[in-house]
Amino acid sequence: MTEKFVIAHMYPDLMNLYGDRGNLLCLQKRIRGYGYDCEIRQLSLNDLIDFPNIDMIFMGGGSDREQGLVYNDLLTKVENLLQEIENGLPALCICGAYQLLGQYYKAVDGTMLKGLGFFDLYTEGRPGRLIGNILIESEIDGQKTSVVGFENHGGRTYLCDKKLKPFGTVVRGHGNNGEDYSEGLWYKNLIGTYLHGPLLPKNPRIADFFIKAMAARRGLPITNILDDTIENFAHQQVKNKILPNIT
Amino acid sequence: MSLRLIIAVIVGKLAIYFSRIAGNQGTDFPGQLARKIYPDILTALAGHIQNGIIIVTGTNGKTTTSNMIAEIFRENASTYVHNRAGANMLTGITTAFIKATSLSGQRTFDYALLETDEANVPLLLQEVEATMLIITNFFRDQLDRYGELDHTINLIKNAVQGSRLELILNADDPLQSDFASHTGLKCWFYGFGDTIYDELTSADSREGRYCVFCGHVLSYERYHYAQLGQYHCPNCANHNAALNFTGHSLKMDPGIHFTINDLGLQSTYQGFYNAYNILAAVSVGKRLGINDDVIQRAIFNYQPRAGRMEKFMIAGKPCLLVLVKNPTGLNQSLSMLLLDPAEKSLFFALNDNAADGRDISWIWDADVETVARPEARISKIICSGQRSGDIALRIKYAGYSTDDIRIESRLQEGIALAIAEEGGTAFILCTYTALFSCRQIMLKMQKQSGGIAQTESRQQQKGGGE
Repeated sequence: MTEKFVIAHMYPDLMNLYGDRGNLLCLQKRIRGYGYDCEIRQLSLNDLIDFPNIDMIFMGGGSDREQGLVYNDLLTKVENLLQEIENGLPALCICGAYQLLGQYYKAVDGTMLKGLGFFDLYTEGRPGRLIGNILIESEIDGQKTSVVGFENHGGRTYLCDKKLKPFGTVVRGHGNNGEDYSEGLWYKNLIGTYLHGPLLPKNPRIADFFIKAMAARRGLPITNILDDTIENFAHQQVKNKILPNIT
Repeated sequence: MSLRLIIAVIVGKLAIYFSRIAGNQGTDFPGQLARKIYPDILTALAGHIQNGIIIVTGTNGKTTTSNMIAEIFRENASTYVHNRAGANMLTGITTAFIKATSLSGQRTFDYALLETDEANVPLLLQEVEATMLIITNFFRDQLDRYGELDHTINLIKNAVQGSRLELILNADDPLQSDFASHTGLKCWFYGFGDTIYDELTSADSREGRYCVFCGHVLSYERYHYAQLGQYHCPNCANHNAALNFTGHSLKMDPGIHFTINDLGLQSTYQGFYNAYNILAAVSVGKRLGINDDVIQRAIFNYQPRAGRMEKFMIAGKPCLLVLVKNPTGLNQSLSMLLLDPAEKSLFFALNDNAADGRDISWIWDADVETVARPEARISKIICSGQRSGDIALRIKYAGYSTDDIRIESRLQEGIALAIAEEGGTAFILCTYTALFSCRQIMLKMQKQSGGIAQTESRQQQKGGGE
């Protein structure tokens, strides 16, 4: 009997921007490449999260209206979820889902959307979206690694608690707010980020970070190495595009 | 008769002439210049249209639909002004009028045929008194993730109110279902009856899921493609409008054969979405009272324009050039491959310039998994363009064998690889900014190999295309 990992895709019908499907496809295919099975379980409003049988949470971005619906639903699940994140549940939260983790989101017109308040960070919408290819430098297991993606957000996110670790440092692009060179948030096995494009297929080391975390929590080994020729080519192609003068 | 108008026309015509010499298409700049000299120039020139000003809008298919309507006009010996694809803002439309009119700006035409983006419709209606508005469909593409489509649809609904427009609407698109009651205008509906290509479940449709009247999830009896199909709302009375122009007996082999009401039609075009384009164009022709045999001939003779499935013959191998620009279009192009039972090669050039969309994540929203289906019989896929890596990755994660994926970012070399493959047709897919180069490359290869494109020869016989 092959061991199976279950990834909860939160609110796929409401939070489904920017090819998020690619992140899930990537995780699923890589997990299978490592010899395990993987189920993507779609959870929507009012569905219960069966935490003991969930290995990872994935949530994408949505429009303001949809984010409001999600917020209200998540509020009912909030304590369990926070506890699971503290316990090291792998989670990837992109764009809107990342913003929801903070204290609040203040829209351009002044409307306040409350956040879940998991972390001491907040987001303010400003005119002028931050759009474009982005390159950041991150660190996995003590090794520096480049991460490429595409960002498109009006919100500027600020990490208030200086102990909070960003996902990476912006090399080219905008990141959290276009001011302090931080991008995203990394807390235990949770990554919150503005990078889509989608994020994981072109950054297989990030995908593997999640998979290894899932496996470790279950005491399962990852032994083989996957052929990432195309992944690395695509990664390098974007990098060359962003840094045309450096090869 | 204003002297200023004459000057604006002359300056516009000169600008068209000089942009041509400079090697530009000269589509926006002349109109822009003329509008500076005489801001009401579009309104003034549109005043010389005798029978009707027809606007074609929607997300997909507006270029093909309006080109087909133009073919119907040509076949009918009607005179008309028609803006070129890619020049569908006010400036481009103004340029089209300047180009067509006489130096005095007084030449009359039977029709104006204006293709424009959804968001541009309200602006256009402020300047010209249109008589007919055709909507192809409303699809969300990757640039529209913030409810902008809903906003745009509302803008159109509000802009047409109080006008004397007739609306020609797609009854199968649930996003158009409240136009009639909301605007109070005369509406004519086109749509399909049951076809053998329908699906009873669909994975890739998102936009039409909610009833525009009450917000309830719609229930579908069948899908023709994407959210187009037979639906009803379980919560209110909303369902497909009664059809004035019904497409039925559809057969794609892979050319399109079907009947609209009692008029039989045939086209070398392929794909369900093109059947919709034909249906929309023919509905317009019929509404304008053009004879059935004229319409029938026009559709039969109509040959694809650049990138809208243009056929080439290179060294004895049929090659099909297809423009793809969003998930729905890509889904349709890929499902077309399934209609061709022979073994085939596929070339896909993905660029990320502004006109392509800088964000290429849309390729992950399309059902690229089709390429890995055994019945697609794709022997090799060549990934090309500025983002060759991303499309290769998408194809890998679609489950297609990496042994048969080749990355060749250079277009010419990539196309050559696809053509060198054994087997039937080479399908050349590309995004907008790769289209022109791919077409030039294929024309050159065709010429060198001694074959002549069916489209080219046909257009030459007619003495030129547009």
